[in-house]
Formats: sequence, structure tokens, C-alpha cells
Amino acid sequence: MRRRVVNLAWQIAIGVGALALWQWAWDLHDNVPWLVPEIFDPYFVSKPSDIFSQFLRMSCLMTSKGDWTLAIPDGFATCIGKSENNLWAATYFTLKNTLAGFAIGVSTGFALGLLLGRSDRLSEIFYPYITAFNSVPRIALAPIIILAFGIGDASKIVTAVLVVVFLVFFNTFEGARSVDRDHINASRLLGASEWQVTRTVIVPSTMAWLFASLSPAISFSLIGVIVGEFIGAEHGIGRMIIEAEARGEASGMMVAVFVLMIVGVILSAMVSRLQAHLLRWRPAQQQQP
Amino acid sequence: MGEAAPARCRIDVKGLRKTFQARGRDIVAVDNASFRIGDGEFVALLGPSGCGKSTILNMVATLITPNGGAIEVDGASVVPGRPMRQVGYVFQKDTLFPWRTVEDNIGYALELAGVPAAERRNRVAEAIHRAGLDGFAKFYPTSLSGGMRQRVSLMRTLITQPEILLMDEPFGALDTHTKLEMHSVLLGLWERTRQTVLFVTHDLGEALTLADRVILMSARPGRIKDDFAVDFPRPRDAVALRETPLYAEQFQRIWHSLGEEFAKAHAP
Repeated sequence: MRRRVVNLAWQIAIGVGALALWQWAWDLHDNVPWLVPEIFDPYFVSKPSDIFSQFLRMSCLMTSKGDWTLAIPDGFATCIGKSENNLWAATYFTLKNTLAGFAIGVSTGFALGLLLGRSDRLSEIFYPYITAFNSVPRIALAPIIILAFGIGDASKIVTAVLVVVFLVFFNTFEGARSVDRDHINASRLLGASEWQVTRTVIVPSTMAWLFASLSPAISFSLIGVIVGEFIGAEHGIGRMIIEAEARGEASGMMVAVFVLMIVGVILSAMVSRLQAHLLRWRPAQQQQP
Repeated sequence: MGEAAPARCRIDVKGLRKTFQARGRDIVAVDNASFRIGDGEFVALLGPSGCGKSTILNMVATLITPNGGAIEVDGASVVPGRPMRQVGYVFQKDTLFPWRTVEDNIGYALELAGVPAAERRNRVAEAIHRAGLDGFAKFYPTSLSGGMRQRVSLMRTLITQPEILLMDEPFGALDTHTKLEMHSVLLGLWERTRQTVLFVTHDLGEALTLADRVILMSARPGRIKDDFAVDFPRPRDAVALRETPLYAEQFQRIWHSLGEEFAKAHAP
């Protein structure tokens, strides 16, 4: 208990210290230039106060003149209407494509992993192709995917799927190969048909391996979508970063990065909860490998 | 001993042989094993570790393919990989499905057979009660003790009401106290239903406590060495039985013969 309080105190101190340094370090630059490197120039990295006010403007909570939009009749709606890729819309599209890429990638990876993991023949035939594809950095395919699927949502989802599918595939493959033989025998001796063995033993034991890959999969899916948006998109947080960069607006990029961070944290937390629920039969110490 | 079993023959093993490949050499695990088990008989297959007794059991259970000889269950030849409906099997290792609760493990075979949910619930509840697992229905196996897990295992098999029960050292991994407790549980269950049982063990005390007959195997290569009748009256009390003079006498008689095989098994 005491330890937790001390840890929390340290965490707060480190966070506040880092923000303070970021906020005020540059002010020292004029007097003691050797102490503060050029990189702290707000032109490159902005600073917390600028980022916060930029956030209020980008999220349409405040007008560019500094008035609260909610205090003006229709203020919020007017502001939102002005930009198609406002912060809310961008977050919505990025989130939607991330979840779609995750869902399709996970189910495809699981199905393929199960199929190849349980069939020696298929895994022998496909092994070289899988290794070859796996050696290609998936991000390198993003421009090709944009070319093929256009700048709409489809290309972002495809990029995310490609990033996620291999990760899930390899985990599922390993899982499907390491199903306990005695569980299969027990099931057969209790009267299971081949299909029932698959459904009631192989799939659930492989699930445990699949779940272990869900946390990285959701992060990878987000990476895939953002990269897709960098290369060509009409909306999304990645698109927002590129736009802010074109304007040389560090605070705008930082807002997008912080929003991504929050989105990432929420998605990971959701997946962890799901994982804990689905793996509730495991003893506590095994839940986090 | 040796008096012809009047009951009809359920398991008939004839000239069974099994060899394994190890480091390029053939190792004979089971050599020319023959025995018959009558209806309702509780037979212990006793021998030192590595004598091939589990191999015999697994061949009867269709899990291992023999290299020679024949096995008949109820007059029908056993085909490897094709488990028989009337045969139940209890593993030595814990093979409960860890992702299923106690009740879902016990009800598993009924689920496979498509038994309606309501009937399944009743039968599972009864099995849980008979095994003394009341209150643990919703527990996952990982939160149970070894003894309790083995009770769940036993009920998972017994719920299908198998007429023939094959048991592979089911209590081998338990401590002495829990083992005695499980003997009581098993005796209590079996003395009501009287299935035909083939029970593999290396523990003479266990064999005497449970069985009507002890088939003794030699050290590798596994051969049938001897066949003893155990005629303690039933119902038996797993704990009190061990203090009777009759038990001591039987124990002495088989112990000498078994001891020779243990010595061989441990010889370099």
C-alpha cells in the first residue's frame, strides 16, 4: 500500500517535471544556450500550453478568437461544419478503420493459422510463401495498396489487415500445433467426432494463443491505418498530422499525436479487459506472460 | 485362483505384442500378453514402472496400435483409433479441459451426444453430488486441488454410464491421504454400478483395496507373470481394510512376487 502511494507520487512528479521542462526550457535558451539544445525550439516541438489551446480550437470547443463555442448559439455546429477533417471526424474515421482492420485481420489470421496449423500437408506447401511474405515489411506495401484501393477507407483497412494478419496467423499456427494430444484423445474417447474435436478442443485451446496476440494486434492495426492515412487519405488523424506538417504547425501535429495516444490507450484497455474475461479460466499468474 | 469366470467375457486379450523404436533399436514393451476379464469384474493390472501395463490399457482403449495379437471387447475386434461406445477411459494425467468449468467438463460427453440441456443439467448436478463436489460446479479446474480434479475427471467419464471402465493410474499423482480418499470415492461409486474395470497401477495396496483380481506383470519386456484373486468381502472400507489380517496376508503373498520385478526394473 505504502509502496503504491510512493510509486504514484513518483509518477506524478515525473509527468509534471517533463511537462514543465517542455513548457519552460526554451525560455532559458537565450541566457544559457549550451544548456538547452536547439531541438527544444517550439517551432519543432511546440509546447504544452500551445498544444492545449490548439486542441481547444481543433476540437471546436473554442473559436479562433478565443470564445467558447458552446456559449455561442450554433457555435459548435458551425465550427464543425467548416472542416471536413475536424478532430472529431478524424478520430471517428481512424478508430472505425482501426477496428475494422483489427476484426478482419484477427479473424482471417485465426482461420488461416488454424487451417495450416492442423494440416501438415498445407503447412509444408505454404511455408516458403508465408516466410517470404512475412519478411516483407508490411508498411512498404502501403503505397501500392493506396494505388490499388484508392484514398478512401478501404485502403486503410487493407493496410491494417495486412499488418495484423501475420501476427495473428503465427500465434494461432503455434497454438494449433501445440494442442495437448491428451485433450484430443480424451475428447475422442468421450465420443467426439472429428468435427466435434475441432470445435470443442482445438479451437478453444488455440484461442488462448490467439488472445495473447490481440493486444499487439490492435496497436499494429492503428499503425497500419495511420501509415495509410499518411500516404493518401481524405480524413483521419494521420491525414491531420500531414496537414499540420504542411502548415509547419507543430502544435497541430502534437494534438493529433496526443489524441492517438489516448485512442491507443483506450483500445488497449478494451482488449485487455476482453482478454481477461475470455481467459478467466487461467490462474492469475499466467494471465500476463 | 484360476477358476473359470462364470460371467460373460467383456475383454479378451490374446497374445498381445507391442514394440517401440528407440535409438534405432526395437524395444519390446509388451510380449505375448493374454488375459480375459468377465462382466462386472474389477481387475488391477499391477507391475513396476515401464513394464508396459499402460501400453496394454491404451491398446485396449484404441489409443495405441498393437504389433501383434488381438483384442476383443464384447466379442468385437478393437480397431485402433475407433473408440467403443461402451468403454470409458480415465487418464493418469489431468486431462480436464481448463477452459470449461467443473459442470461443463462433467457434462461434456452429454453435450457431444446432443442430450437436451435440461436433462444434462440434472445428470450433471447428480454426478457433482455423488462425487462430493457440491458447491464447485462453477469453478475452473485450475482452482481445484489434484484430488478434486481427478474426481471431476472420473465423473466426466462415468456420466456416459460406460459398462467398461479403463483406468490408467488415475490416482498416481496424488498424495497418500488424497489417494485413500479417492479409493473410498471410487469404491462407493463402483459398488453401486459394478462396471467391468481394468485398472492399471504400480501400487499393490491400491490394487488390493479396489480389485477382485490382480494381474501381475513382469518387468520389461512386459509379460503376464501371475494372476491372483482378491476375495475381501464388499462393500469395502478403503481405510479399515488395510488393518485386517487378511489384507496383510494377501499383501505378503503378492509382495514377494512383485518385489522381484521391481528389483529387475531397477537393475542397471
